[in-house]
Amino acid sequence: MLEDEILKWQFKCGNRDALAQIYRKYADPMLTLAMGLLNDAHAAEDVVQDVFTAFARSANGFALRGSLKAYLTTAVVNRIRDHWRRRLRRPGALTDDLPIATETRGPDEELIFTEDALRLNEALAQLPSEQREAVLLRVKGKMRFKEIAKLQGISVNTALGRYRYGLQKLRSSLNGEVHK
Amino acid sequence: MRPDDQVAKAIQDKLQFAAGARLRERMLAEVLQAHDESSNTNPALTAPVTRRVAMRSPMTKLAAAAVLVAAVILTISLWDRSIPTAYAIEQTVEALQNARFLHLVRRDEAGQINDERWIEIGADGWQVRYRQENPAPRNFSVIEDGESTAVYRHERQAVILYDRDDQQYQWVGELGKALENLRQEGSILEENATYKGRPAHKVWWPFLSAECYVDPATKLPIAIGTTEMSYEIPPAGTFDIVIPEGYVVLDKRPGAPEQSVPDWLLAEEQAEKQADDAFEQATHALAEGNHAQATELFELVTQKQAARNWAWFWLGSAYYAQGQYELAIEKFTKVLDMFGNDACYYCNYARGLAYARMGADEAAAEDLKLCLPVMVQTLRTPSAASMFEYADDPLVRYGQRRPTEQQVVAKMVNRLRLVTGQNFGYDPTATAEQNEAAIAAWEQWLAVGGQIAFRPEAELVTVPGASESDR
Repeated sequence: MLEDEILKWQFKCGNRDALAQIYRKYADPMLTLAMGLLNDAHAAEDVVQDVFTAFARSANGFALRGSLKAYLTTAVVNRIRDHWRRRLRRPGALTDDLPIATETRGPDEELIFTEDALRLNEALAQLPSEQREAVLLRVKGKMRFKEIAKLQGISVNTALGRYRYGLQKLRSSLNGEVHK
Repeated sequence: MRPDDQVAKAIQDKLQFAAGARLRERMLAEVLQAHDESSNTNPALTAPVTRRVAMRSPMTKLAAAAVLVAAVILTISLWDRSIPTAYAIEQTVEALQNARFLHLVRRDEAGQINDERWIEIGADGWQVRYRQENPAPRNFSVIEDGESTAVYRHERQAVILYDRDDQQYQWVGELGKALENLRQEGSILEENATYKGRPAHKVWWPFLSAECYVDPATKLPIAIGTTEMSYEIPPAGTFDIVIPEGYVVLDKRPGAPEQSVPDWLLAEEQAEKQADDAFEQATHALAEGNHAQATELFELVTQKQAARNWAWFWLGSAYYAQGQYELAIEKFTKVLDMFGNDACYYCNYARGLAYARMGADEAAAEDLKLCLPVMVQTLRTPSAASMFEYADDPLVRYGQRRPTEQQVVAKMVNRLRLVTGQNFGYDPTATAEQNEAAIAAWEQWLAVGGQIAFRPEAELVTVPGASESDR
């Protein structure tokens, strides 16, 4: 996309507005992807925020040849994997008895979504994580199976299999609720 | 449309989440702030480098070569005494990105290997398979084959098998992050130096808080601190879990048949859990300033888990906070001994302060002087202070708090003022440009042999966003 190529160039040159435009263009698709993978609004916000913050800091050494969307999508997926890994690796992490600040947030400070989106997301949450990832990367990230296979470290056939099994399970769990 | 395609279309059209207006603006503001901070700390932004793309075509290769020759001639004619740098850290980052295996070796003073590790790195930069060998007296081995983790308890002639997700060992977890840090913040300390007689470039790697030596030919690090590194393919079977003859196997993986656990392992696991619980409580107690309770709990932990270096360090910190400097020094020394010859600046700093409080000026200066270069470096490269931040606050160590770069630098200025008596007028609320003179003054002071002068009454800056007690 030419628009993205111009934004990439401007961002690389330190243009703040280009970064804001990239954010406005891709924040919601990345939030949708993160929500689909995590099914946790606050964690999804954190992941997307971390990805864009790291992206913002990378301007000086930024040298991206490929698609901006694929780059951000991969960054979100990797960040989510880190998120799970950290949780796995820190069984004794300091999480349980820390006081958690309670805060009330207005509707414009939360994620906005429809009932359909919530229902679909909950169905996705029932899938094994690899299948969920394959479905979302394909459908929402518009990634090719070759790219999904590379990201997941598997063969193209396995990526295709994960996607198909994922869709089949979704169909069965949604139980005919999907309308044409 | 096939039913599966309908599902895909529903996801495509209806699965949408969007940030509310205020959430979106708040997140954007934080992103732009990160961008601005980064622009202030990085060198001036320049036009994008398109070399990698251009080099794909043979025709542009020739054109690029011509431009390169012209550029070199121009550089030499403009600055005839400056020789263009032959080595760039980016080369090391690129070389490391292609490394699939790491072989790490540490030796004792007699030259005997006391720690050897093999690591297979996955495409995502994370450890895939792993092997660690510590000969006697530790007598400990671990093998991770990608699915299971085998812990070899040689003194018990036992192997305990865990699911890899339940029990993992690692050297550097986020290798990708470490590389990014090297690319963005690493600095060349000395080109064409030597390491144990081998030619090497000396590089500072902030993420690891260590100096590393880079092979000029391969651009790969050959040593980080006292740990030697190489990248060869490991011998066949390195990552295979093999049960030695006569060993008992205790399979703790999900789905394994029920097995009676021997008493020694039950007792160990119970002690381990108690120590873990005590450690967690102790870190909170220390973070909340409850030093007496932290001392009691860390003492308990160090009795049960003598190899837990942070427990020893924070025990020392708790004693220091209560004015028991001799005990603090004893605990900090224990940590420094555990790291052998490897630099452990935050610990040298802590012990140096304790010596200074006791009036042992010579011992204090010896410790503190070691830390000065990395402390001054932090003023431009805040990530160099990560270990100092962990040392100050266990909750930072465990990711529960994340200081801003502004806070990190302000705290380091305070540490410097405390142990040097110098001021140089740094203002944490000013811009990087406005503070440039102060930072340059610290660097100049260090370059001309800045000396330690402990000044407990030194004027400290207010750490942005911190309470008075955090200064």
